[in-house]
Amino acid sequence: MSGIEAGSLVVSAVLALLTVLLLLATALEHAGRTRRAARTARHRAELTPLVHALLEDDAPDSDVSSADPLLDELVLELLPQLRGADRAALQSVLVDRGVVDQAAAQLGARAAWRRGRAAELLGNVASSRHVPDLVALLTDPVADVRSAAARALGRIGDVTSVAPLLAALDARPSVPPGVVGMALLDLGTPALPALRDAVNGPLRAARPVAAQLLGLHGDPGATGVLADVVADGRRTPVVREAAASALGRIGSPHATPALVAALTSDAPLGVRLAAAQALGRIGDPGCLDPLTTTMRSAPVPVRAACADALTALGDRGRARLVAHAYLAGPTGAVARAALDSSAARAVRRPSSLQAA
Amino acid sequence: MTRVLVVDDDPVIADLVSFRLSRLGLDVSVETDGQAGLAAARQLRPDLVVLDWMMPRMNGLEMCAALRADPDEELARTPVLLLTAKAQEPDLERGFAAGATDYIVKPFSTRELATRVTAALPPGTVRA
Repeated sequence: MSGIEAGSLVVSAVLALLTVLLLLATALEHAGRTRRAARTARHRAELTPLVHALLEDDAPDSDVSSADPLLDELVLELLPQLRGADRAALQSVLVDRGVVDQAAAQLGARAAWRRGRAAELLGNVASSRHVPDLVALLTDPVADVRSAAARALGRIGDVTSVAPLLAALDARPSVPPGVVGMALLDLGTPALPALRDAVNGPLRAARPVAAQLLGLHGDPGATGVLADVVADGRRTPVVREAAASALGRIGSPHATPALVAALTSDAPLGVRLAAAQALGRIGDPGCLDPLTTTMRSAPVPVRAACADALTALGDRGRARLVAHAYLAGPTGAVARAALDSSAARAVRRPSSLQAA
Repeated sequence: MTRVLVVDDDPVIADLVSFRLSRLGLDVSVETDGQAGLAAARQLRPDLVVLDWMMPRMNGLEMCAALRADPDEELARTPVLLLTAKAQEPDLERGFAAGATDYIVKPFSTRELATRVTAALPPGTVRA
């Protein structure tokens, strides 16, 4: 056997040995993990009745301060699923066990994931005394932490968070409008007065978000404010479009004149489209003529939106579409398309029991 | 003993509901999807079904509609209480259109759940 062959043999033997050791280590690690998972599952099963008992009307004052840390995990899993007295009972367990104070201390942690997790926990626990700390986190350098703080403020439901949340839309760095919007929706109707002010307020990025939220809340008290925005040609198209959509959701016929004016003007395409859709949602018969006229003369997307809006106006709207469906050119095409999609919707409706 | 079938794919919720209803003196069984739930309903013939909406294999609405269409008229009349995170008005309409007797939105209160279950069952069935 040459020296090279002997060397190869030794290398092969060492590699084989390493492979066996690696396989052995993997198998041991897997077995250890399975054992740990089984132990945790057993432990969870033991602690679950204790958590459930905490929710009972006649629950004894159990001392949970010395219970296993796994109890916190169970409570935190259950917390978002419950409300009212159940939620309050679980929140007080977390306060008693010092979990809330620990989370508050983590808001200033160096690791971003710790700050984000702490914000999420304080939101779930609805810890209103930590609102100022969470507001400060809205300008955190890490986007995920800012979003976690915004969501937490929404869950806590303290109306003093409205202004900082709106300001976070305009700040540098900012919080995404979707996240702020959901948080403001969570705050509920107490946020409405601030949202009405924000539509005309100094924060540029907050104006369309505030308009959209007023629509999602269906706030009839905002009809006048939003109608003024739709009618004002000096406002940006984005905020006018948001205001028009919101008026459609609110559904008040008092908005019809402003929406008709926007539809029949030379406003940007998006504003005219939103106005047509809003008129369809409101369903005021007073807009039959302007919708029909605009369907005959506007750019094609606006014509199509007018035709769709006419289908929402019942028999009289559909009669207008039938009268135009035989015309050649874009007017006939949009009228036929609107009638077809209206008929298709009517056919689909009975099977709406199927899950989305 | 009055039997209640709980169908929910979230074990944390299923355990909690099961615990709360057991405290009312009810005999509770748990399934984790609509298909298994439907099979269990046909076998156990429960007095009430507490049903989640979003589940694998067969969702709660499909199970509820299948229960209502069952040839066994008594089974088809079983009260169904939907317990779901779907909270929009159209969801509520779809739930009742599928045949739900009652509707509870998550996050929920265990006290409200107990009250509604008691109301859905014949008087005297539930332990005070």
